[in-house]
Amino acid sequence: MKNNQFIFTIILSFALFISFNSFAQTDWVKWGKADFSYQIKNPVEQRNYSFDLSNPERLVLKSLANAYWFFISDVDGDNCAFNPTCSNFFIQSVEKTNIVQGFLMFFDRFTRDMDIFGKLNHYPRVPDGHFYDPPSLYLLDIHFINYIPPSVIVKNE
Amino acid sequence: MKNFFFTILIFNSILFSQEKNHLTNDSLFSPYNIKRFADFLYCQKDYLRAADEYVRYLGLIPNDTIEFKIALSYSLMNNYDEAAKRFNSIKESSSFYQPAQIQFLKSLFQSGNYVQFRNKYSHGTPLNDSNDCGGVASLYMFSFLLTDEPLPNEDEFLMKFPALEKIQMKSFYDWKKNPPEKSSIIAAIFSTIIPGMGKIYTHDYSDGIFAFISTLGAGYLAYDNFKAGHNFRGWIFTGLTAGFYGGNIYGSAAAAQIYNAHIRFDFINDLETYLEDNNYFLKIFNFCK
Amino acid sequence: MYNYFQFILILLTVVSSKLFSQDILENQYNYALKLYIREQYYDAVTEFKRLSLFDTEKKYEYNANEYIGMSYKMGAKFSDAILFFTKAEMNARNNEELFNSIIEIVRINILRRTISHAYDLLDSLKKDERFTIKSAEIDYWKGWADIFNDNWFEAAKEFSKVDSTKFLAEFCYNVEKEKYSVSFADILSHIIPGAGQIYTGNYFSGILSLGWNTLWGYLTISAFLDNRVFDGLVIGNLLWLRFYNGNLQNSVKYAEKENLDITNRALDFLQSGYSGKKP
Repeated sequence: MKNNQFIFTIILSFALFISFNSFAQTDWVKWGKADFSYQIKNPVEQRNYSFDLSNPERLVLKSLANAYWFFISDVDGDNCAFNPTCSNFFIQSVEKTNIVQGFLMFFDRFTRDMDIFGKLNHYPRVPDGHFYDPPSLYLLDIHFINYIPPSVIVKNE
Repeated sequence: MKNFFFTILIFNSILFSQEKNHLTNDSLFSPYNIKRFADFLYCQKDYLRAADEYVRYLGLIPNDTIEFKIALSYSLMNNYDEAAKRFNSIKESSSFYQPAQIQFLKSLFQSGNYVQFRNKYSHGTPLNDSNDCGGVASLYMFSFLLTDEPLPNEDEFLMKFPALEKIQMKSFYDWKKNPPEKSSIIAAIFSTIIPGMGKIYTHDYSDGIFAFISTLGAGYLAYDNFKAGHNFRGWIFTGLTAGFYGGNIYGSAAAAQIYNAHIRFDFINDLETYLEDNNYFLKIFNFCK
Repeated sequence: MYNYFQFILILLTVVSSKLFSQDILENQYNYALKLYIREQYYDAVTEFKRLSLFDTEKKYEYNANEYIGMSYKMGAKFSDAILFFTKAEMNARNNEELFNSIIEIVRINILRRTISHAYDLLDSLKKDERFTIKSAEIDYWKGWADIFNDNWFEAAKEFSKVDSTKFLAEFCYNVEKEKYSVSFADILSHIIPGAGQIYTGNYFSGILSLGWNTLWGYLTISAFLDNRVFDGLVIGNLLWLRFYNGNLQNSVKYAEKENLDITNRALDFLQSGYSGKKP
């Protein structure tokens, strides 16, 4: 028993020695008291039902999107493998470009959504498991393309 | 008399032997003890604390090695801007001046200031540290792989690298000179001719197949509905066909750009891994032997 | 006489040098402790590490590691905290210190929700004959581990073993009673689309779900009855099945969301309103 305890102490000391060298990185920035909450974060992303009053075109578009989400999309379940969802992707595409380009981006996204084989090794993921596919990659402007490899989990979109 | 001197001798021996425990009247914050604690923290990779302690020591006793170690601590924490500032502030009279200038250049490189790095290398202090001079020259040439400026001549480029590294450097050079990129225009043209072909050109094989199926599927349904006299449905499917077809062309052009971004990302990754593995062609300072 | 004088001189020198060095370490300990009390945790860690380096006799080793661990815990740096509490455990001078350091590790595992580690440690403490007298405290922390594992019924059982934690036991029972049954919501929605959502108080979603399923179901059946088989298959697969699956997903999703809100309200109270020992 004493021999086992001695061996355990040696192993633990060795593990601690290794750990000390690997954990020192926490203190490469000065830190203070943390504001830690017991509460659990809701993993499900909440919809943004706000209205865009900046111009009539965006108001109409966002109203239609809100109606679609409320009456159809929130009822027929989680069917899109991507983040942002296809409808969200469409809204963001039109906001960043124009209605025609937005439609083309949407149809391309819809086709890629139908592809059940090619997603795993192509897109990075967000924490809830959806594939990360922002419209910024498809604006046909290389300055907006921030390539992220498939192995990465994207936390702050 | 003998006894008296003997007593004094023992008294002094005991008093001075406390130096071995380093707990003198100067306490734990004596210069010696501060340095000892700083060295301990440095070897534990607790670099920020070590740097703070070294700074505290410097406030009491100026020391070249300590100045260098502070700068090195910031470099090891990947705080390259601060490291560069501190390496560059080490005086010419210091024995660490040459290594500090080399590390300063390395910090500029690591912070991504390649242009500034090249300027400082070309017009800055002449380096005579024979161990690392060649290393900085290699780094200078290597920086061209990471910027969009014109590459030097191949022979001139390869000359600066050790013989064992020339094959790897040549492959990096060839890639940089002629990257295997895809053309957005060609991808779009392919997809115009055959839906999905542009995506296959950019190696998105399954996307290409589904683009083909969706366009043709919608087109067939349009044709079938018109044939059956269901004009309204026919026009809906015609609209869908146009959407899928246009989307497939647009998506192929975008896919080519994403493909290029992907291969550039992998290339930069390979370069960075190579540099890390070879410590930027420079020697490693190990103060913890 | 002179030899006697020599002896006294030597003895005084040795004793005073030892006392002097311990005074320095004690001063350092007090200084580091003051930083900890003032919530300057990063600096407290620095000073406790300094103490640790120079404390060759390891007189302060347990306490220094304990306070370093506490400092990291206050900074929410749980992995580092566990490291130093483990070091404190290795330098514990008696069973009380050993138990306290293990309980600190349990508390941190609870906070960072690595509950299985907490359970393992508590089980090993329970089986250890040295800590039989600490049984009540072990049960107390087992209850907290159950709370953070969202197992309120088990937590209530643990807290009800001791009189002094009856309030917590009742609190946990009430939380458990308030929660919805996810499996019941799922079964309801299998039988009547939308019923699971209505059970959890999401009336509009439930009515919408019922409406869509009724519509697509009617269209599918009437298509088959009219011998429009292809239309029936398309509507049935692409629309009715989609909305039916959506209804099942939502019944579970809303039940879990409501339960999460109940849990978070309870956790919020325990963190800010409960005055007893917490992780």
